[in-house]
Amino acid sequence: MTIASDDPRVAAVTAPPPDAPPAAPAAAPRRRRARLTRNRWGYAYVAPFFLLFGAFSLYPFLYTAYISLHEVRLSDIDGAEFVGFGNYTALLQNEFFWNAARNTLTIGILSTVPQLCIALGLAHLLNYRLRGRTFFRVAMLMPYATSIAAATLVFGQLFGHDYGLINALLQGLGLDRVDWEAGTLSSQVAISVIVTWRWTGYNALIYLAAMQAIPNDLYEAATLDGASRWKQFIHVTVPALKPTILFTIVVSTIGAVQLFGEPLLFSGNGMTNGGASNQYQTLGLLMYDQGWTNFRLGQAAATAWAMFLIILVVVGACALIARRRARAER
Amino acid sequence: MATVTFEQATRIYPRADRPAVDTLDLAIGDGELLVLVGPSGCGKSTSLRMLAGLEEVDAGSIRIGDRDVTDSPPKDRDIAMVFQNYALYPHMTVAENMGFALRIAGVGKADIGRRVAEAARILDLEPYLARRPKALSGGQRQRVAMGRAIVRQPQVFLMDEPLSNLDAKLRVQTRTQIAALQRRLVVTTVYVTHDQVEAMTMGDRVAVLKDGVLQQCDAPGTLYDRPANTFVAGFIGSPAMNVVTGPGVDGGVRLGGAVLPVPRERLARASAGSGRITVGFRPEAVDLRAGDGVPVVVDVVEQLGSDACLYATLGAADDGDVLHTADLVVRTEPRSAPAVGEPVTLRVREDHLHVFDPVTQLRVD
Ligand SMILES: Nc1ncnc2c1ncn2[C@@H]1O[C@H](COP(=O)(O)OP(=O)(O)OP(=O)(O)O)[C@@H](O)[C@H]1O
Ligand SMILES: [Mg+2]
Repeated sequence: MTIASDDPRVAAVTAPPPDAPPAAPAAAPRRRRARLTRNRWGYAYVAPFFLLFGAFSLYPFLYTAYISLHEVRLSDIDGAEFVGFGNYTALLQNEFFWNAARNTLTIGILSTVPQLCIALGLAHLLNYRLRGRTFFRVAMLMPYATSIAAATLVFGQLFGHDYGLINALLQGLGLDRVDWEAGTLSSQVAISVIVTWRWTGYNALIYLAAMQAIPNDLYEAATLDGASRWKQFIHVTVPALKPTILFTIVVSTIGAVQLFGEPLLFSGNGMTNGGASNQYQTLGLLMYDQGWTNFRLGQAAATAWAMFLIILVVVGACALIARRRARAER
Repeated sequence: MATVTFEQATRIYPRADRPAVDTLDLAIGDGELLVLVGPSGCGKSTSLRMLAGLEEVDAGSIRIGDRDVTDSPPKDRDIAMVFQNYALYPHMTVAENMGFALRIAGVGKADIGRRVAEAARILDLEPYLARRPKALSGGQRQRVAMGRAIVRQPQVFLMDEPLSNLDAKLRVQTRTQIAALQRRLVVTTVYVTHDQVEAMTMGDRVAVLKDGVLQQCDAPGTLYDRPANTFVAGFIGSPAMNVVTGPGVDGGVRLGGAVLPVPRERLARASAGSGRITVGFRPEAVDLRAGDGVPVVVDVVEQLGSDACLYATLGAADDGDVLHTADLVVRTEPRSAPAVGEPVTLRVREDHLHVFDPVTQLRVD
């Protein structure tokens, strides 16, 4: 699965017009012009998209790349000084970058894996005839519809050291209080819980939609073949959901690399550097710090591009695995 | 050993106003191929699914062998089913599809391989074992579905219209193959179809259902020669039997001004209630131009090569007292067929006349 080429908008532009005549080399330029005029309405119809895409996606994207090759201060954007890949080498030698990358990875794993597993299980339960299905569907979308700020503030309270509900529960069970915010693992777990809470329902709904497309007689056949519900889940549901699961993995991964709002607000004291010892500073927070605390825009732009490249690599790896599996199955 | 018995089995779907299957009594012998046939919505699939355990039994019971399976889950019934759309697992190869039940049951790899290979040989599926269902033709998928059932060596096969997705020619071919296979494996089989030709050619016995009620269960020949009521009479056979109701008179039934003779005793019993009588005769049980007889006018002549079909209405002397829903159909020699519009008379060969009570619709002998 390649995300780009599945995009119908892209396909519509790159696919050759079906009636295009096999142009002889000599006559090619004229033919091409003729084709342009013949298709002018087609181009006119897709033009608005490309204008918007160019203005709000492509231009900022390329401009970020440009900035990332310069030393720029937020106070003096026009006084850019070309430094080549200096910002990138500096980034790779920066211990904060590696710390943030590590944090992003662990929080990403801690949130994505449980989130998708729980979503799959929830969808499976909801897929059986269940009373009040509409209610559950709405309920599952609620966290997604909640603002990050509100959710994070509430969870910040829950995970509070002295008066937090969770510590109260732990104490009730005879366990020690945990200083969730201060510890490396504990803070990352807490943030992962917030992310999981927000996105599980969303993913469950996507899975549920895909599950409802699985024909019921497959389950009946599996029942007659002696498969328990769990075996049916493994042998019928999961294989049928493979493309959907891959899609949610890609989307969650992109979200995880760009994680920003939850760790930003989790500290609860207005600090934006991801904890006293940067124990939950993600790449997104690092970039924010570089650009808006230290005013080094060039460095921040380089970090943004590094994040983009990481996403490309991860998604590319997913696509590669998927394609190899698809070929093996053929 | 593996007989199947329905005893007063009833299924009422939630919020339905009448049972989909109504007090069904049916005993299927060991190794028998029983065909359930009937018009759409008559409850064939429901009966089969009750036997499979996919549908609850609201009243009565179902037994496989001596075991009461009314409340057993499907996996404990030792049955295999071929679905109308085959329900093959799309992500498994043909071999994996066929071996899935054994794998779930924990049978060893080597054993599975051997049994799958054996089934593939029987069904000519050997070249396709490594393929996925997507890459098979409809007929091949149908055979894989059969293979999946065979591999399990179950006590009972269930098939729900397994041929309805095939083209006409392949359907004829496959139905003989399935019947032959069933005879070879000698496994009790319940086969559902809405096609009476399929039912007649395949079944050891055929059970005819209508509106959830069993009408008759007999060998194909008996069903054809002695239909138990007018519904079975009209449903079995192609073209269908002519069923006509008219006033009972001395010596027979008056149709179109003439009298079709009916044996005295049957006439008396059939017309006792209403003074009317229903008679039925097959298209091929008719002699044309036999002097005195029932006058009819030929509307359409269909030349089929081997014979001709005449579609006729009762002649001008129809006194409006006769009920018949469709045209009368007569099968005759192609060369001596009368022309369209020609008035002819028809006589029914005496031992081929079926008599029914017009009120109860039941056969009178
Ligand atoms: N799940 C269901 N819920 C409610 N009613 C149902 C359900 N399934 C079937 N019915 C009803 O039960 C009756 C019998 O259905 P069934 O599927 O057994 O018919 P059938 O004989 O198999 O017909 P066909 O030849 O069209 O497959 C029909 O009137 C149908 O509307
Ligand atoms: Mg059916």
